[in-house]
Parts: sequence; C-alpha cells; structure tokens
Amino acid sequence: MDIHLSPPSKTILAIVTASLLTACSGSSISGQQTPQQAAGPLAIGLVVPLSGVYAPLGEDMTNGFKLYLDQHGGRLGGKEIALKSSDEGEGPQTGVPAATKLVTQDKAVAVAGIVNSATALGARNAFIESKVPLVIANAGANDVTAGASPYIWRTSFTNNDVAASLGAEVAEQAGDGSVYLIAPDYAAGKEMIGGFKKTFEAAGGKVAGESFTPFGTTKDFQPFLSTIKGSGAKAVFCFYSGAEAVGFVTQYAQFGLADDLPLYATGFLTEGSVLKAQGGAATGAQTSLHYSDQIDTPRNKEFVAAYQAAYNEPPTVFAVQAYDAAAVLDKAIAKAAAPTGEAIAKVIGEIGPIDSPRGQWSFDADHDPTQPYYLRKVEDRAGTLVNVVVKKLGQD
Amino acid sequence: MQVLITVLNGLALGAILFLIAVGLSLVFGIMDVLNLAHGAVYLIGAYTAVALFADDVTAGGFVLAVLAAAVAGALAGAALAGMSLPVRGHLDQALLTLGVALIVTEVMNAVFGTEVHAIPPPPGLDVSVGVFGQAYPVYRLVLVAVGAALALGLHLALERTRIGATLRAAVADRQMVEALGIPTRRLVVGVFAAGAALAAVGGVLAGPLLGAQPGLDDTVLLLALVVVVIGGLGSVRGALLGAVLVGQVQALGVALVPGAASFLLFAAMGAILLLRPAGLLPARGMAQA
Repeated sequence: MDIHLSPPSKTILAIVTASLLTACSGSSISGQQTPQQAAGPLAIGLVVPLSGVYAPLGEDMTNGFKLYLDQHGGRLGGKEIALKSSDEGEGPQTGVPAATKLVTQDKAVAVAGIVNSATALGARNAFIESKVPLVIANAGANDVTAGASPYIWRTSFTNNDVAASLGAEVAEQAGDGSVYLIAPDYAAGKEMIGGFKKTFEAAGGKVAGESFTPFGTTKDFQPFLSTIKGSGAKAVFCFYSGAEAVGFVTQYAQFGLADDLPLYATGFLTEGSVLKAQGGAATGAQTSLHYSDQIDTPRNKEFVAAYQAAYNEPPTVFAVQAYDAAAVLDKAIAKAAAPTGEAIAKVIGEIGPIDSPRGQWSFDADHDPTQPYYLRKVEDRAGTLVNVVVKKLGQD
Repeated sequence: MQVLITVLNGLALGAILFLIAVGLSLVFGIMDVLNLAHGAVYLIGAYTAVALFADDVTAGGFVLAVLAAAVAGALAGAALAGMSLPVRGHLDQALLTLGVALIVTEVMNAVFGTEVHAIPPPPGLDVSVGVFGQAYPVYRLVLVAVGAALALGLHLALERTRIGATLRAAVADRQMVEALGIPTRRLVVGVFAAGAALAAVGGVLAGPLLGAQPGLDDTVLLLALVVVVIGGLGSVRGALLGAVLVGQVQALGVALVPGAASFLLFAAMGAILLLRPAGLLPARGMAQA
C-alpha cells in the first residue's frame, strides 16, 4: 500500500521525529554523564506561577532572578547557568510536580522560587530526599523551614515575623483606642493575625474584635466592614493580597471607614500592581514589609534603576526575594567544593550576610532571613502612589 | 440600622447576579444548552471596560463601555448559539462551551495581563451618601435601581409581547411551537445573543465592585449557576428570586453568622435541591422536565 503524505503532515512528521531525536539524545547525555562532570552549563531550576491568580508574582520573581543573572554575565559562582523554569500554577496539585520535575527531569542542582506555602510544604520532602537545595523566594508559612533541614532555605519572610514587626508600632499609634483584626480564613491569614496580636498585645494594645473572611470567594466586604464599625474600634489591622487587597481597600474607602479608622496591614496589601488598582483609596495605609522601592540607599537606588531599565516598571518585594535567591546561590556555588546539590547545600549556611536592595540580611538558625522591616505609608508622589518608607520598625 | 444597610447591600449584589443569571437561565430553558462560557462572556464585558477606561473614566465613556459590551456580548452569544445548535447531548455542549471559555479567557490573559484591574464607577456616582446614618456608595444604589428596572422590563417583554409569548411557549415545548409553523431558530439565536449581551453588560456594571482579573469568570459562572438552581430554570421570575436570595445570603447571612460564611451559599442551594429540586419558580412546563 502506497502511503502518500500531504505537505503539512510531512512537516508534522518531521517535527515529531526531530523532537523525538533531541529528546533521546538529551537523555543519553544525562545518562552517560553525572552533572558534576558535564562540561555544559549548570542547571538551576526556577519554579514560580506563570498561570493562575499568582501569575503577576511569578512574573516579578522571574524578572528579579533573571536580572541578577544578567548582571553577572549569566553566571552564578563563576559557573555558566542553564535556567530551567516550570509553572507552579495556583496550588500544590500543580506546584509540587512542577518543583520535583526540575530535580528529576531537568537535573537541577538547586531550585529557587515557590509562592504558595502549601506547595512549599508539599515539595520540601522531595528536596530533602534527593539532596537538592530549595531556596524559597516567597512562601511565608511558619512551618516551611521547620526542622532547619540543610536543603531548605528561605529568602523571603515568615508570616509571623512580617506581621509581628508592626505590633508595637500600632499599639503606640492607637494609644487607648482598640484595633480590629481581619484577614482571610486560611493558614496565612491566621498566622499573620497571630503574629501581629502577640507583639501588639505585649505592647499594651487592645483588640476590638477579629474576623476571618472566606478565602478567595469574598468579593463583598460590606458585612464585615459594618461589623468593624459597630465594634467601636479606632483602627484596623488586616492582611490581604491580590484581588482581595484591591476589593478590601476600595470598599474600606467607599463605606467611609478610611476617613475615621487608620488602616494597618502587612505590606502585601499595597505591593506591586494592586496599589495601582486601588488608586486613591489606598492613600494613608500604613504597612510593614522588608522592602519598598522607595528605600533611600545607594544599593537600592542602583537596583531600582537597573530593574526599571530592564522591565520598565518599579521592582516589587517579590522581585527582590528572587533576586536575593540568585545572590544566595551565587555565593554558595562559588564556595561549594563541587557543583552538586549536596555540596552547595552544605555551604549555604556559611555564605554570610547578603548585601540586598532591602538592606543587609543573613540566615538565622531556622534558615529564615534576619532582616530589617520597614514601616511604609502610601502617599501620592507626583500622581503616582508609592509606599514611602517612614522608618525601620523596632528601631526608633 | 446596620442590618438594613446589609439588606440594601444584598439587593445591590442581587441586581448584578440577576443581570448575569437571567441569560443563563433562559438559554437553558429554551435551548436546553448549559452555557459554561457564560462567565467568559461576562469577562469580555469587564475587559471591554478596562480597555476603554485606559486613562480616566467619564460618564459618556461609561455609557459607551456598556453599549460596546452589549454589542460584543451579543456577537459572542450569537457565535456560541451557532456553534452549540448542531451539537446534541448535554455533555458535548458542556465540553464545547467550556472549551470556548478556556480559549477566550486565555486570550484575554494574553492581551490584558494577569494582574488585577480596577474599574472605577462613573464620575458623579463615585461618592458615598449617608444611608441610615452610615456612608454608602451611591453606585450600589444605582445598581439596585438598574436591576429593578431590568426585571420589570424583561417581565413586561415576556408577558405582554408576541415575541415574549412565543418564547415562553418555546421554553415549555419547542417542538410544539415549531409544529405550529413558528420557526424557533432565529428566536433561539436571539435569546442566546440577548442573554450574553446582558452578561457582558453585567461585566461592566459589576466592574466597580468586582474589577477584572483572571479567574473571575469561574466565580461569576458558579454564582450564576447557583442562582439558576435556586430560582428554577427558564424563568425570569425565578432568576430574580434566586438572585435576590443569593444576594441576601451573601450579605445578610454572612453578617449574621460570620463563622459559617464559607458554606452558607451552598447550604442554601442544598436545602433548595432537597425540598424543591426544580427550583423555587421554574418556568411552567419545566417543572416535570
């Protein structure tokens, strides 16, 4: 039987054959050579959300990581790097396979990224077992770094610390008035409120009441805002991010709370693209975070200028966390005895302080950053809303 | 007083939900097609507003966005009708419309990016007034009025016009209407287009409350489905009752029992399914179907 192929199916056949061939040759190379003997570039994984509701964070993190690479000639620790990306998606169902794929399939010797805490918790054991360091560049759940495994490190924050840094300050500003606490009803919301409450009450603050709103489905905050009004609170502390941050802040103004009750939050409320969407409603909100693009240091100014030039927008805290993850890997690879996951992990604890745009920071005993937290206030500067740095928290 | 404010707010949410759900309900009633692209059509409306309000929103610009969304929605609806008419079977129709929805939302992500866009209310309506002694956004009051006017208009159109009578007959028994010599094809496409136009207009009008962002289509579709299940298929009155109820559950229910906020809506839907599986006010002739 004569098989006649039309031109399009010939093309398809050629493409399929070619991709099969490359796939085979790829696997034969990795089969013959162990990573440390490979003459080619060192594989580093980056797992961030490229789709779903967290995609804007993933874009910032990719930008931050790539900026560091570009500034260092595509090298970390003097070694040429092949950056392998995979899409974390919205939750652990997509995130955990995406993270482990970088190790098993792409043979990455270290992986950075991960936005979602559930994903980080789900993926950590796979990294510990395969002895590949995971440098978490966002996920904030307190337990992610539990046990201080040599393979699990975090360049971002813990939910507890970022909220706790604001407690004493709010207690002082509120004076005799009580403060209402509100956050989404999931792990991060509870940890943020818990962290804040501890330092706030220790500094003599009074809590007027607490609400946890259904996570991801709350579009209308009016019932909760009404409750806050009725509670007699003199100020509000909240944690929201993404679409919920936009909804909460605009409705907080629309229902007239912004006029009477100062709004405090962890910095995610007003960070990045959400601030633009909130518009004037966000003005005056005071937040705590380990970064603002307004930090007035030469190191940060130079970073902001480079980022602005490369991506035509100001950097966010997410970009800095990924930028610093690249810096951590840079130092560790340079120090490691061999370019393997095990050797790199062994020296991450010895790299010393990181000179970051956010200020100098270093890993603590739990493998989380010991870092400055800033009190920021949303102000209108020449028509653009920015997070002005008021002061460093805990250092009056 | 706070309870009254919350009831009022539930009405504003209900007005939006009615706008979105009525098209879904009628299309299912007359065509027996479950249009899972309804949320995507809503998002088309919302992003129409985002595209037109690039700089600043004016009253004229807002009206223009509503009209543009109506046209875009009607075209999308007509196209969906053309695609789903030849397809038989609920599963095939669901897969078809779901596929269309995925493609449409992915294209919108590519064009508008994945970040959250805010849609401001038109100038003049972006202020708050004192209602029962509390600040309340004027725009939400306008929504209540729009929803009421639309419900009245649709009711009159269905009950008092010839097209309305044909439509009601087609919902009850489409084959019989065709046997009487009335072509239903154009009617069906028209209902699909009108329902989609309403959803797209809903996207603009709900913009100042919900904004525009990826994933919003699913939220909206789910709420509309709950409204249709509670209200009953194929009837304007059912969609109205369902929308008002869901609005109140979302507002009043959450205010009264905040601890159960996450599942109140689905508890309400479950109760209706147990007690009246056809919904509270299904179209005549649909109850047994």
